[in-house]
Amino acid sequence: MWWKTISVILLVYVLGAGLLVPLKSGIQRAEPAYARTKQELTIRFYGYNTLFSHPSAEPLRVWLYFNDLYSLAAQRIDPVNDTILEATFVMPRNLPEGKESVYLNALIDHPATGASLLPAAIELRQDSGMVAVQLDSAWSAHPVGQVHVQTGFSFPYQNVIYESIRNTYFHVPMWFVLLFLFSASVWYSIRYLRNPAPENDRKAAAYAETGLLFGALGLITGMIWANYTWGKPWSNDIKQLMTAVALLIYLAYFILRRSFDEYEKGARLAAVYNIFAFASLVPLLYIVPRMFASLHPGATGNPAFGSQDLDNTMRAVFYPAIIGWTLLGFWIADLRIRYQRLHDKAIDLD
Amino acid sequence: MSITMQLLTFMPFRNMKFFKIRNFFILILFQAVYLPSTLAEGNRDYMRETGKINVVVAVILVIFLGIVWYLVRLERKLTKLEHLTKDDQ
Repeated sequence: MWWKTISVILLVYVLGAGLLVPLKSGIQRAEPAYARTKQELTIRFYGYNTLFSHPSAEPLRVWLYFNDLYSLAAQRIDPVNDTILEATFVMPRNLPEGKESVYLNALIDHPATGASLLPAAIELRQDSGMVAVQLDSAWSAHPVGQVHVQTGFSFPYQNVIYESIRNTYFHVPMWFVLLFLFSASVWYSIRYLRNPAPENDRKAAAYAETGLLFGALGLITGMIWANYTWGKPWSNDIKQLMTAVALLIYLAYFILRRSFDEYEKGARLAAVYNIFAFASLVPLLYIVPRMFASLHPGATGNPAFGSQDLDNTMRAVFYPAIIGWTLLGFWIADLRIRYQRLHDKAIDLD
Repeated sequence: MSITMQLLTFMPFRNMKFFKIRNFFILILFQAVYLPSTLAEGNRDYMRETGKINVVVAVILVIFLGIVWYLVRLERKLTKLEHLTKDDQ
């Protein structure tokens, strides 16, 4: 059928674009991470997907900046290779706002790959001794100027996550598929209570079963991703816990279905239970996680995404991914329904 | 845990039960868990190097295998149903 074709086309696009589109360039780390005032210091920046030593018409520029007002420009810039850059700074005599130590963000501007930022790249401490009252003029001598923006199709660079940002098109849609399938399931459960035809019960059960499959896949893939970004597969994150509870509630739905000898009685009770299960799914997945701190992005407020976490390039892959995976989920559920229909006919239930 | 060790844990070779589909899936699952450490040499971290791209590979593999596992289960149910209807005729 046409929507199955669309599912395949979308998923091929998602796999291709999701894996092949490059990441924007970024700064992984800076060495050393500490500096003192009045020191002349060469800092080594380690870039990701950068082209530091590629010849370009305009020069490379490097800043360490505290905020919009105070910034330091590099005196000398030597690219070692494409991913390593050495920049020499002369640290000023004192720190802005009379502070003892400040964290400075690093900003490298490249004409081709655009500007990349490393927050809190280096800690600058006030050297002991006499502190000048007047702020060193070096702080405002070279403000951060107009920087370049990388053009073309590329995904955002984020430290710690790196390439695994692509899991957004594989792990996250699992939860959308789960929601759509469970919604379809509860819809047919309500229909069964109004009209106890076996067809409605078959559909409710099949959608719940495939929804559970995608929920389990979402949980396992989440654990793999968490292992390499949060440090361990299970950190009792509020979303992980609530999802596990929701999946167990739906697991009980199938146990309930099978614990009755009489088909109609079991189907009826399962339909009622399904409505309660769906009613608890919504607070478990969408309300409770918003009330607690979470390791998931956009932790406070939105349990899944902050507006900064998805840029337009990612949207161009993420939305097709949701549609593609959802259609695939309904396709699998459709096979399950058709099997059950034949089965029920064979044992003269229908 | 080396690959040979993993194969040795699946000794029911003798009665050919090794080729049961469930064992095959368990073997793949073991591979998925231990492969990174099997491939790691010295201090190399197979999953964390090259920008953690292998985490994406693992996630896609798990989704693929999960869906295939479900389809295999469905196919077995269908086979049983086919035998059932064959007996009737």
